[in-house]
Amino acid sequence: MKYLPLCWPTRNGLPPLALVISFAVVFGALAWAAPIAEINPLRLIASVPRLLSFIGNILVMPDAQYFPELFRKMLETLEMAMLATSIALAISLPLGFLAAKNTSPHPAVFHFMRTLLSFMRALPELVWALVFVSAVGLGPLPGVMALAFVTVGFMGKFFAESIEVVDAKPIEGVEAHGAGWLQVRTFAYLPQAMPDFIGSTLYILEHNLRAAAILGLVGAGGVGYDMVMAMRLFDYDRILSIALGIYLIVALLDRLSSHFRSRVI
Amino acid sequence: MKNLSATPPKKPFNSLPVWFSLWIALLWLIVFDLDISLQMLLYGLDDMAEYFSRYAEPDFSDLPRYLHLMMQTIATALWGTLIALVFAFLLAPFAARNLTPNKVTYRLAREVLNFLRALPDLLLALIFVAALGLGPLPGALALGVHTAGFLGKFFAESLERVDKGVIEAIQATGASRSQVVMYAGWPSILREAIGYTLYIVDRNVRMASVLGLVGAGGIGLALHDTLRFFKYGESAALIVVILTVILAFDYFSTWMRGKLT
Amino acid sequence: MTSISLHNVTKQFGNGFHALRGVTADFTPGTLTAIIGPSGAGKSTMIRMINGLEFPTNGQVKVEDRVVNRSNLKEIRGDVGIIFQHYNLVSRLAVMTNTLTGRLKHRSWLGSMLYLFRKNDMDLAFQALDRVGLLDRAWDRADRLSGGQQQRVGIARALAQAPRILLADEPVASLDPVTSEEIMQILREICDRDGITVIVNLHQVDLARRFASRVIGLNAGKIVFDGHPDALDQSTLDRIYHNHTEKEIRNEIPAPMLADA
Repeated sequence: MKYLPLCWPTRNGLPPLALVISFAVVFGALAWAAPIAEINPLRLIASVPRLLSFIGNILVMPDAQYFPELFRKMLETLEMAMLATSIALAISLPLGFLAAKNTSPHPAVFHFMRTLLSFMRALPELVWALVFVSAVGLGPLPGVMALAFVTVGFMGKFFAESIEVVDAKPIEGVEAHGAGWLQVRTFAYLPQAMPDFIGSTLYILEHNLRAAAILGLVGAGGVGYDMVMAMRLFDYDRILSIALGIYLIVALLDRLSSHFRSRVI
Repeated sequence: MKNLSATPPKKPFNSLPVWFSLWIALLWLIVFDLDISLQMLLYGLDDMAEYFSRYAEPDFSDLPRYLHLMMQTIATALWGTLIALVFAFLLAPFAARNLTPNKVTYRLAREVLNFLRALPDLLLALIFVAALGLGPLPGALALGVHTAGFLGKFFAESLERVDKGVIEAIQATGASRSQVVMYAGWPSILREAIGYTLYIVDRNVRMASVLGLVGAGGIGLALHDTLRFFKYGESAALIVVILTVILAFDYFSTWMRGKLT
Repeated sequence: MTSISLHNVTKQFGNGFHALRGVTADFTPGTLTAIIGPSGAGKSTMIRMINGLEFPTNGQVKVEDRVVNRSNLKEIRGDVGIIFQHYNLVSRLAVMTNTLTGRLKHRSWLGSMLYLFRKNDMDLAFQALDRVGLLDRAWDRADRLSGGQQQRVGIARALAQAPRILLADEPVASLDPVTSEEIMQILREICDRDGITVIVNLHQVDLARRFASRVIGLNAGKIVFDGHPDALDQSTLDRIYHNHTEKEIRNEIPAPMLADA
């Protein structure tokens, strides 16, 4: 076998074909995208001083007078996330059953539900928030609506998938004792799918907290509005406070949820 | 009751109803605090039927422009994912307990990844727009930095699950740490890694459509404008375009991930 | 020159378990030694001390007059090959690539990151595969091979390092008797032809008898026999495989029978 001084570990010494093709496709896509996304390394490098000075500006002592209001806003953000997630939970449980192949009453229902859920989670929360603000006005209500709506899309799907991988034997056992349609679902499917589902719910809650934080951007409640205003008015100390506030709450929720997860799952 | 051989044990205290009631009470408090009233919602619902009917006739007259903006969104998402991939590729081995050189680097890498994940992309986009000006580039950066946190965490968790024996075997040949990562680590998790990356591409296409609201790329801004000026027909058209592309991408990436398993 | 020497090596694990208690042994180059003993006797631990996969709590391990410690680990590991009970190949890489990982220590950082190898690496790897009779499977994925074949790839990987010492940690525990024979034959042949010092962990006593020129019997972390396989009579075996209590070990076991090493 003839090999050049340096070669790859393949029969002919060249990289494997699948790898080459994948790279070519990815590279091609990126090359196409670069001008459209205005990727310009020079511009990037030129902007580093401005970025650094910006970060330098942010790292100032936060204005303590802002803290009470920040706290209120963060609380509002947290409340929005919790409320929306709870509402979505209540709605997703029955929808999940309808959208799971093994518990759905009819294949047509199954397909319809799946498509509906797909549609509900397709658009980001912010788009729905824009729409709902336009419909019901400013405040946390449109935010909660937007969050709940999109969350049902995700939760419904997760829950349906958890139900679909459930073990068949306990189901047969319950059915053999003459349990009704609803009873089978409550006592045979639900307990099995629960651990997975709780895991997904915690993950979704974390995500919703972050999402709630930005919905304020369009006036749908939460700390997002303050964030944008602070940027526009170059209120640097506020930006830092808000960023830290968000980070702290997310980190706290993260710890709580891993703790809760390890105890329940 | 008939004579039993012993007294039956007391039924254990079931805390579930207590937790459930507490939860409902909490939700009620929240509704009160957020000043949301059912009335407002119901009035809203009534209005909403009428409101949504305004979107019934999408106006596609500006379609070429919308499509261009959507292309921009996808391009932003692709580059954002690339940036995330590079960061995650470099950081993940340090955030994996079995491949990291020492406890300090492990903790540091983990915290960096957590920090990147915690900041909402929108906040990052705002910062990058302030530093770089308007356009899709700051959007790509914001997406890249934020999703690097997710991708890095996914990769690190996958790397931690690699068979200890395989890692030892490569270490035992006298290979350096980075060689161990490259030969025992990445090849073992390649499938999962590609799956996660596709998931992130999908997510970034979604987010990119929204970053436009802060001036980091087109289509979000267009939707904001049309809604602000109550141009419902055009808003409807924009939503349809965004929805179609996102759903198509979603379908494509799910199909690709299916082919991997 | 002694190839390997263990001097009064003790190993205590974090949970208090004493794996080795004051083990002393010297190994002459070019010999094949079998280590036998019941489960938990410390056979694996002893072997893993030699290439630094474990470190002694007390005592010293020397390989070719170099003390094994964290600073010269890579140096020593370059000269010591090892094969494992579960083969520990990277499943999704090809047989040839797995073999080539034996050359990683000699590769430049950049080259190895890009999976590039030199011609002489390729030649060494092919030769190694030829010696274990798997040249025709060079390009198959490692996980498509049978257990015995995978173990042979493990041997090829070790051979590719051009080692002076070869360790085998329960190499045939997962294989059927016929395949176990084949593997032991290969190990014996490597020892005879290349003058490589081979140390094998076994629990099949008859394989030890037939293939080793020296047998060390371990029980509860102590050497209770060290000599020629012919001296393995029933009473000796009873002593090696008997379950001793802590007290007995400390007080009643007679001094190990030392033959000409």
